[in-house]
Amino acid sequence: MRVLIVDDHPSFRASARKLLESEGYDVVGEAADGAGALEAAEQLHPDVVLLDVQLPDLDGFEVAKRLAASDNAPEVILTSSRDSVDYGKCVGECGARGFVPKGELSGALLTTLLG
Amino acid sequence: MTQRLLIAAWTVALAAAAASLALVLSSNHEDDPAARAALIVGLGLIFVGCGLVATVRRPENRIGVLMAIVGFFWFLSSLAEANSATVYTVGTALSLLVYGAFAQLILSFPNGQLETPMARAIVVLAYFDVTVVQWAYMLTRDHIGNANRPCAECPDNLLAVTQQHWAGEAFISLQRGIGLALLWAAFAVLYRRFRNATPAARRSLAPVVITSTVTLVLIAAMLLAAWISAQATHTINWFVLVSFGTVPLAFLVGLLRIRLQRAGILRMIVESPDELSLGEAERGLREALDDPTLRLGYWLDEMHGYVNVRGKPFVIPEDTPTRVTTKVNYNDKPIAALLHDRALLEDPDMLEEVVGVVRMGLEKDRGERALRATEIRNRALLDAMPDLIFRISTDGRYLDYRAPSEYDLLVTEVIGRTVWQRLPEELAERIMAAGRRAVEERKVETLEYQLGFGEGMRDYEGRIAASGEDEFLLIVRNITERKLKDQELQASRARIVAAGDEERRRLERNLHDGAQQRLVSLSLSLRLAQTQLQKNPEVAEQLLDSAREELSQALEELRELARGIHPAILTDRGLDAALEALASRVPLPVEIERSETSLPPPVEAAAYYVVSESLANVAKYAQASFVRVKVAQLNGAAYVEVSDDGVGGADPAQGSGLRGLADRVGALNGTLEVESRPGEGTTIRAEIPLGVG
Repeated sequence: MRVLIVDDHPSFRASARKLLESEGYDVVGEAADGAGALEAAEQLHPDVVLLDVQLPDLDGFEVAKRLAASDNAPEVILTSSRDSVDYGKCVGECGARGFVPKGELSGALLTTLLG
Repeated sequence: MTQRLLIAAWTVALAAAAASLALVLSSNHEDDPAARAALIVGLGLIFVGCGLVATVRRPENRIGVLMAIVGFFWFLSSLAEANSATVYTVGTALSLLVYGAFAQLILSFPNGQLETPMARAIVVLAYFDVTVVQWAYMLTRDHIGNANRPCAECPDNLLAVTQQHWAGEAFISLQRGIGLALLWAAFAVLYRRFRNATPAARRSLAPVVITSTVTLVLIAAMLLAAWISAQATHTINWFVLVSFGTVPLAFLVGLLRIRLQRAGILRMIVESPDELSLGEAERGLREALDDPTLRLGYWLDEMHGYVNVRGKPFVIPEDTPTRVTTKVNYNDKPIAALLHDRALLEDPDMLEEVVGVVRMGLEKDRGERALRATEIRNRALLDAMPDLIFRISTDGRYLDYRAPSEYDLLVTEVIGRTVWQRLPEELAERIMAAGRRAVEERKVETLEYQLGFGEGMRDYEGRIAASGEDEFLLIVRNITERKLKDQELQASRARIVAAGDEERRRLERNLHDGAQQRLVSLSLSLRLAQTQLQKNPEVAEQLLDSAREELSQALEELRELARGIHPAILTDRGLDAALEALASRVPLPVEIERSETSLPPPVEAAAYYVVSESLANVAKYAQASFVRVKVAQLNGAAYVEVSDDGVGGADPAQGSGLRGLADRVGALNGTLEVESRPGEGTTIRAEIPLGVG
């Protein structure tokens, strides 16, 4: 499984990479903002985008919508240090496959959501 | 004195008069029986009559009794006209008693009391002179006639035991000498009493004092003449007797005067039944009573006190020897108070008349008077109001107005103009609509509006109330300043709320970006370490190391955040410790100058934030080498000053930090000043009153 990690916090990106790689995921790239995410997704064609909701430019929902509208749209898993209920219906309406609270991220959970 | 006693006394007087008449007319030693009879009977009846009238009118005053006694003594003196030697002797022995009684009468006028030792001494000596000295004289001289003149035809003096000429001369001279001295003393007493009297008292004293003085002078002349010529004594004696008669008449004049004055007061009330103001009543009473210092106070229930004729409070003074206050009540309720000459008290009938007239006159116009007092108060109220007042008819014409100054008049010409001529049309219509509603529904209408003057807009608040069937009052107050303050207050409140929101946003972001991220990473590291624990213990150990590092950084960030929410040290350890802690975090020398203070918590917190924000600014922008912080308590306010030697040029209008401080200080009614000329460092001063919060 090829994964693109999008988050403006390098420490999270680093931790997430280690965690997912240790569980057999192939982390193909990282992006720090929405524009970077769209560009990376176009170039790297990941199967899954682990997408932080709060980004410095576009927010995660917008990025998710645009990704969903692209050719070969990757699966999007939203993540945030906030709870999904804080975002109401946005999570369900943006075309994302699921939501993972940052603190609970694991390869197994990702697999479950994608399965 | 009861009526029966009065009738008895008068009957006795008439009998005595008849007896006197008979004695005089049948006398064989009287030169002019008809004239003497007329005089003795006349004088006796006048004195007794006046005395009885006076007694009826003033039972408690002994003057009346004294006058009657003088009258009876006159009848007694007629015994000397008797042809019987015995009766003649008794009559002669008592013939001069009338002079003693007369002295007592005039010296105890007007209240019937001999008030001074001098007056008492004169009277005692006078009685001694007309009795003991008279009797001594009678022991030495026979044939004594009227006024102790020689009288060859008179019957034998049964008391005469010797005919020593020198002895008789000695006694008669002693009698005359004492008499003259007493006359002089009595004159002096009368004169002094008259001179010391108040004007009103003088008026009541005058008739009696004048006639008494004339009589005293004539008696003196008679006594002096006796040494020279018996004929002259005889002639003057007639004048003395006539003069005697004027004294009770003077007393009658006094009584009559009361009736005249009463008529005067009544006329005053009657002639101006509708227009008699308190001032006019006071003037009328002054005139009628001849007391220019008389004051009239009018009772007002709602003030629980008296007011004078000008509507000012009338405080009743303590009575003095010359001025007293008489209260006028009606049905046990106070109506008025009269401050008047004490002489009026000696004239109780008069006082009663005056009180009656005042009661009648004032009670009659009570409603009107209360109205007038209300009017006076209302006027005072109007004068004290800073508002513009317009009277406007329901067709929009200005009838009257009152403006403390012209400052708020858009057009200075008012009366006769219409609201449409003086005001913008839209406002004129609003005022007229509200005015008509006020008149129809009898309730107060309010409206707010703005008027454009040369220098800008001013805000006004108008109150409209009906003032008649077809007119209303428009009371206008300039509220520009109040509006400005309101706006400033609202803006300040909005900024405080916005600052609070902004602060919470910042906190949320800081939490999210800081501690929360660290904890997320920590969670992930721990999860990773867990997965590596079996396969790669070394990797797991590395992961746990970095997790510990993340955790301590998260804790530090949380501490920093908590400090931003509220400085715990301020609550726990007080302002001194909090300021020291602030100073220790600033990377340059801070001098703290602190005097003994005891500030309420909100003021202390404001002072802390002033120092905290100022120090943060110094650290960020000032490029200073030194900061001084001063906190003191001055004149009921906390005084905070933070000054640095940096570049200056701080602008409180820019940047939310200083603005927020100003709002925080302003919320406690304090002031914040920033002095920051470029190149001269920055000084921030805050003054926060301790009374608020």
